Amino acid sequence: MGNRTPSQTIGPFFHVGLKWEDGEKVQFAGTGERVVLTGCVYDGGGTAIADALVETWQADPSGKVPGAGAAVRAYGYSRAMTGSDGRYTIETLMPGACTGAGGEKYAPQINVTIFARGLLKAVRTRVFLAAADATRDDPLARAAGARAGTLIASQDAKDRSVWRWDVRLQGKDETAFIDF
Amino acid sequence: MSARDAIEIDPPYDFPGYKSTALRAPKQPLIRVAPHPLEIAGPAFSRSFAKESEADLTTWGKSAPLGEKMILVGRVLDEDGKPVRNSLLELWQCNASGRYAHPVDQHNAPLDPNFLGQGKVLTGDNGEYRFVTIKPGAYPWRNHPWAWRPAHIHLSLFGNAYAQRIITQMFFPADPLLPIDPIFNSVPDPEARQRMVCKLDLEQGIEEEALGYRFDIVLRGAKSTPTGV
Repeated sequence: MGNRTPSQTIGPFFHVGLKWEDGEKVQFAGTGERVVLTGCVYDGGGTAIADALVETWQADPSGKVPGAGAAVRAYGYSRAMTGSDGRYTIETLMPGACTGAGGEKYAPQINVTIFARGLLKAVRTRVFLAAADATRDDPLARAAGARAGTLIASQDAKDRSVWRWDVRLQGKDETAFIDF
Repeated sequence: MSARDAIEIDPPYDFPGYKSTALRAPKQPLIRVAPHPLEIAGPAFSRSFAKESEADLTTWGKSAPLGEKMILVGRVLDEDGKPVRNSLLELWQCNASGRYAHPVDQHNAPLDPNFLGQGKVLTGDNGEYRFVTIKPGAYPWRNHPWAWRPAHIHLSLFGNAYAQRIITQMFFPADPLLPIDPIFNSVPDPEARQRMVCKLDLEQGIEEEALGYRFDIVLRGAKSTPTGV
């Protein structure tokens, strides 16, 4: 027991080895509302992190776990690498709200895992694609309390398909990361 | 908290010996939550996502890469000993001279036109995998004076559930650089550290051609999440 293999950092040299063709475009079996999730990843000094790997996993537009399908790549999953400005961008479909096995009400959200040089293990969290008052009953929004705001993406005022969410690994307004 | 959680297996975020953690380690405690339905499920990769040729890193170029050819075999299991089947395992590494085929790597060692250093496979019915590659070299880095990374291969695993997703590094037995490597030594438990070291397994190699190494990888089990799912 307790015989797990430990985590180690992804380091700075992963871009070639982990590249997926169109990795930042999420595939689904069906259609839905097209959305873009974009933002920057910052360190504790406010500097953009140019070597982060951002992966997302989400429910399909009806709130179900995406199953296996005809697509070569797994449905519902994305992999994006931040650029020199620390920015990641993911093209996807709006995830549906879903209900947990114990009746928990989950607001529309995307599960996020971030790897980077200097992170000896990944940071994980969930970002809400919903207005703050639509997340009030969500288990994580409740558990995060005053920090829940760091997990709510903001919908662009002009282009309503664009949701903006920055990640701060450390310091003021540090993003609420989770363990589950 | 169960007994197996009593020993910390993963490194801490903040580890002063590894300088890059200073501004990147979160300072706030992680928020403990029950897993979301998506976190106990996982993305399903079709077998065609990893081509057979991607398990052999030595056939990428026009001729064989320089270095010590090796066969890496192992199984991916969970903490309960169950094989993790049909799961994506990606690998990347530097060449035999200690240089990555990557624009950021400025180490003054030669690139090998016949070695890119990337591979991927889906595990088999018993969680097994097999790669053909060359042994990576050690290389210097700027973390501290005289800092050299021991030879290592980076491994990225998906498991069968999102909660099992992990990236780690595999090291080689009896490497004199292991005791001075802050990344290896960031794992607090010495036994857990040894689980990142592969074992020589000659008969998994190819007679008169390649050395064999075995590296089994253990992912979180179904009952090992903090909330006991």
